[in-house]
Amino acid sequence: MSANEAILHNQMHQLYSSHHGWLYALLRRRLGNAFDAADLAHDTFLRLLLKPLDFDSFGGARAYLSTVAKSLCIDLWRRREIERVWLDALAAQPEALAPSAEHRAVILETLFEVDAMLRRLPEKAANAFVMAQIHGMTYKEIAAELAVSERMVKKYMAQAMLNCAMHEAGIKADFSVDMPYVLCK
Amino acid sequence: MRATDLPLPSSNTSKWAPKFESLQQAARWFACLRSEDVTDKDRAGWRAWHEQHAEHREAWKYVETVSQRFENLQPESEQHAAAAALKAAQRVTRRQALNMIAILAGGGMLGWTTIQHAPLPAMASGADYRTGTGEIREITLADGTRVWLNTASALNADYRPSLRHVRLVAGEVLIETAQDAGRPFVVDTSQGRLRALGTRFTVRQFDGATYLAVYEGAVEVRTAGNDATQVVQAGEQVTFSSDVISPPMPAERARKAWARNVLLADNIPLKDLIEELARYRRGHLGVTPAIADLRVMGTYPLDDPDRVLAMLESALPVQVRRTLPWWVTVEARPTGR
Repeated sequence: MSANEAILHNQMHQLYSSHHGWLYALLRRRLGNAFDAADLAHDTFLRLLLKPLDFDSFGGARAYLSTVAKSLCIDLWRRREIERVWLDALAAQPEALAPSAEHRAVILETLFEVDAMLRRLPEKAANAFVMAQIHGMTYKEIAAELAVSERMVKKYMAQAMLNCAMHEAGIKADFSVDMPYVLCK
Repeated sequence: MRATDLPLPSSNTSKWAPKFESLQQAARWFACLRSEDVTDKDRAGWRAWHEQHAEHREAWKYVETVSQRFENLQPESEQHAAAAALKAAQRVTRRQALNMIAILAGGGMLGWTTIQHAPLPAMASGADYRTGTGEIREITLADGTRVWLNTASALNADYRPSLRHVRLVAGEVLIETAQDAGRPFVVDTSQGRLRALGTRFTVRQFDGATYLAVYEGAVEVRTAGNDATQVVQAGEQVTFSSDVISPPMPAERARKAWARNVLLADNIPLKDLIEELARYRRGHLGVTPAIADLRVMGTYPLDDPDRVLAMLESALPVQVRRTLPWWVTVEARPTGR
């Protein structure tokens, strides 16, 4: 272990011992379940390991950890909700065949991915993208559905694709970026 | 957990700048080519762009990868369930925002076990104006606008020739704008922008939400996430996240008494008063559930929270337990004393 690694290790150890307690308690309250809480507390610290931050105060570390924990909670809830609603919807279809375990895993994984890509988009842009990419609707149909202009739909599509592509490329998206539409009429 | 979920080790954005440009162009080309009105000229334009640079081709690969992600979901038999599931996931986050708004609008922000307040966020330490825990301060900005900063608050002021711009970094402010027809007055919070239309109003920054109460004039709210807008009139209050604005409710006039260093309790539950008081002192201040809903009336000095606790002890069947100097609980007074 190099000197830097040793320092990092020591810092992590200190962060863990001073923050794991309240973080676990917070997650347990939010999730109402000790196993999920332990998992997410673990994942929260894992993120810290990958992106070591130098906190100048207890409050700073606490604020960072609770923000990460909150987003992990929402992640978990979103995944559970996707799974629940997807299975319900499938079961409600008249010709319902129980999906094979493999098919189920593939589709759910795809849905988790797609949800992660769409998550930070404004609702209308996300909806437009889903209508186009899943339902194969035309811009005209989408525009009618969302009560916006076709030009706006095109803008939503570019915005959504940019966010998805950035997610795919592992670039942290800057959602304040405005997308003037210039390349094609 | 997959690697893509994890934050990047480097946040050096300039390194990504050229790539971002190309991705942005690729995304626009995608939106153009996907349209039912795409022309041969558009396709030729795309081909020229694609051939122009290796980086363009690399950016386009990401567009293709994203498109492929959706292929599994495209068969007729999958569409409905997939879209329903994605929609439901959207609602989860929306519901979180609404829950928070419902809780905030209802008064009690936190459960009785967790009434404690974090110190100012790191960002606040460099702010133009700030107050410590328990401190209330009045300032006058360059144009004569008066601002009262409540406990543990931070504000930045950035006046420009065409705009009076302030940013609430943390805590709560009461603002009385000066007249200046030519220069709008705006307040930014983490969730959106408030445009004052000649007025007196309070803004408070919560974790994940902004509270606004208007006492005179009107204030326009514009959310940061989706540009939802609403004009809040005098006598109304709203709470908003970055994409949802709560319906307006009657403003609690008593709330703005803090600017005079007074906590005005007009028949409110004890837990609300304790929660409010906790903002003005360091450490934990809690109230046990048995007495949390006792009704309280009166005028309490905010600059002396410990005196308020003593006043409560003499007015109500409660006692204050100081387990540690910074860990204080208000509990029921044992009967027979």
